[in-house]
Amino acid sequence: MLKSVSSIHTGICSKLIRTLSTALNVHPPEKLDNFRCYESNPVNHTIHNVAQFYSLPPEDKALLFRHGGLPKTFETQCKTFNETCIMIRKPALDVINSLKNIDYSKPPCKFVLYGVKGSGRSLSLAHILHFGYKSGYLLVHVPWVGDWMRRCKESSTSVMEKDYIDLNIDAAMWLTHFKKQNEHLLVNKELKLCQEYVWNKRESTNKGAPLTELIDFGINRIKYASYCVVVLAEEIKQLSKAGVCKTLVAIDGYNAFFYPQTRIFKEKKEVVHPSKVTLTKAFLNLSYFNWNNAAIVLTVDEIAIGQDDYPSNLPRYLLDKEGFEHLDPFVPIPVENYSSKEFLSCMEYYKERKWIQYYPGMEEELAFISNSNPYKLLELSASL
Amino acid sequence: MFQVTRNINKCLSTTTLKYSSTMPRASEIDTEKDDFKPLNLRQVKGHQFVKRPMRKMEVLTPRTEQMPVDQDWGSVWPGPRSFQPNTVPLPVRQGYVKKGAAVPHKYGNAELMKIPNFLHLTPPVIKRQCEALKKFCTPWPKALDTDEKCQEHFPIEVATSSYCHSSPSIRDPLSRIVTVNIKLSSLKLDKHAKDKFLRLVGERYDENTDIVTITTDRCPTRKQNYDYAMYLVTALYHESWIVEEWEKLKSEADMEYYDWNKSKSKTSIEEMFGKKSNEVPHIEQYSNALNNLMNDGENEYNIAKYGDAVRKLLQLPQLSEISK
Repeated sequence: MLKSVSSIHTGICSKLIRTLSTALNVHPPEKLDNFRCYESNPVNHTIHNVAQFYSLPPEDKALLFRHGGLPKTFETQCKTFNETCIMIRKPALDVINSLKNIDYSKPPCKFVLYGVKGSGRSLSLAHILHFGYKSGYLLVHVPWVGDWMRRCKESSTSVMEKDYIDLNIDAAMWLTHFKKQNEHLLVNKELKLCQEYVWNKRESTNKGAPLTELIDFGINRIKYASYCVVVLAEEIKQLSKAGVCKTLVAIDGYNAFFYPQTRIFKEKKEVVHPSKVTLTKAFLNLSYFNWNNAAIVLTVDEIAIGQDDYPSNLPRYLLDKEGFEHLDPFVPIPVENYSSKEFLSCMEYYKERKWIQYYPGMEEELAFISNSNPYKLLELSASL
Repeated sequence: MFQVTRNINKCLSTTTLKYSSTMPRASEIDTEKDDFKPLNLRQVKGHQFVKRPMRKMEVLTPRTEQMPVDQDWGSVWPGPRSFQPNTVPLPVRQGYVKKGAAVPHKYGNAELMKIPNFLHLTPPVIKRQCEALKKFCTPWPKALDTDEKCQEHFPIEVATSSYCHSSPSIRDPLSRIVTVNIKLSSLKLDKHAKDKFLRLVGERYDENTDIVTITTDRCPTRKQNYDYAMYLVTALYHESWIVEEWEKLKSEADMEYYDWNKSKSKTSIEEMFGKKSNEVPHIEQYSNALNNLMNDGENEYNIAKYGDAVRKLLQLPQLSEISK
């Protein structure tokens, strides 16, 4: 009884105060009620969640990013924070919204994420990839093309195609990655080959065999792994066209496929042009427009090509004429540095994780020093 | 024994030396026979010059102060000449101003002498010279009353320089140079011919004024250079109209600008949509955006425009529609 009376009293008080307040149009400074988004399914993220952090479930992370896909520094930070939180940002939401509204009977739409170094292209791609996983796309994800073109594990001349160079271990690793990411989809009996592939006198993969057989063959017989990727790409295209699966192609550092200065060498130390690498053939085939029931999300990155200086980070420069014509028409999506709202949200998150010790004026100072660049902020806050 | 003789020798030599040093000279002995004179090392006395008083130059008052007010300035300063403070009756001042000091006056002022002056070209002098030249001129054609008409009827402009010297030679090598200016729009050229003409003339064409400038100086006389310039204009015009066999091989890489209608982009769009490009909706905006992107260079603005055009073309939701 006493409790109810007191609650009535407080209710009246607050009402009175509200009506009797003399301050007009008080706009509190824009501050997030909560910097966390408890919706961990990217399908349900809306524009109202911008600048909020959502936590990537550990089981999803283990499935999607076991073999790479998240930047290394970010991984370290996640380990420190004991959770993987990705900020919901406009570029990713824009792509996700488009993916929801695409007419999939038409040729695939291409989205190219671009921006300055450390602005969060790879993490936006990770967010989109998570969306793709949650909405049941067949994921064709390349974590970092720069790894193939600039620090490949091993290279040899191709057995299956003349004048081509195979990156055996990298191809097999990618097949493992692909298999892991699409575990749940590959059990589908309909995903089968529509052609017979003869590898040599004794080995062949029959028509109608499940896709996993081809992948396993590539993983076990590393010599044929690169060509397996080419075949797999073509098969995925055919299956998508037939409507068996819906595909999301996500490639990070896509422009490395067109930069002539690779670090792959032939036997006589000649530099191999990326167009002469078997893996390039597979992924250029996947990013071409002559199929449907798919969407393509790419990032262009100046780090992927490892030039000495970076005159521009815009897609036409990075893709060069050849790459631009290959992708055209595509939607360029700028990934910018943090807006003030995003920056404050990030600071709140760091405070909550006890990553930084707060002092007054810290936000302004850090925003100024880091230029609101996410990666710079991460670096700067490491010592605070 | 040998050593003793050597010692004696040594002694002798030293003594002779001593002797010679003290011996007075023969002339001195003659003059100083009767009178003992003190040692005069510096020889101050003897030939003493009597200093003639300096003749002072009479400093004239500056000429400027003697000038009548109504003098004929054209005769005082008839030609180009560096500044003379005593001839110019003006309190001119110029130069670096030290702190707290006035501007340096005209006397001994290097700054004033350095710069070229136009004191010989005062308006009355110009007027007088024009009057003198008038009897050699013919009247200006009445029909050519505006600049446009002049340009229309006389599209070629020839410029030469004549030099006049008071030197033994009446020739100046610079007078041979002939400069010919032509407005490109006055030549009848089609698209191909114009392109070729511009490639042939290279940097001699000024885009802002649309004028081609040809300068010839390789021949020894002005007449020859003028003929050569006219030959060049004729040859350029006719050459640019010729279409060579190999010009048909011009591919996209040789193009001086990006043309969407000839690009790979157009063919891929046609292949994508399965119809002629002009039937595709919103193709105009897309092709314009791509032309701008390729021709004006890539920047944030052009890329954003291109993105918008592609969204329209592929019927994707615009960026502003996310919130819905």
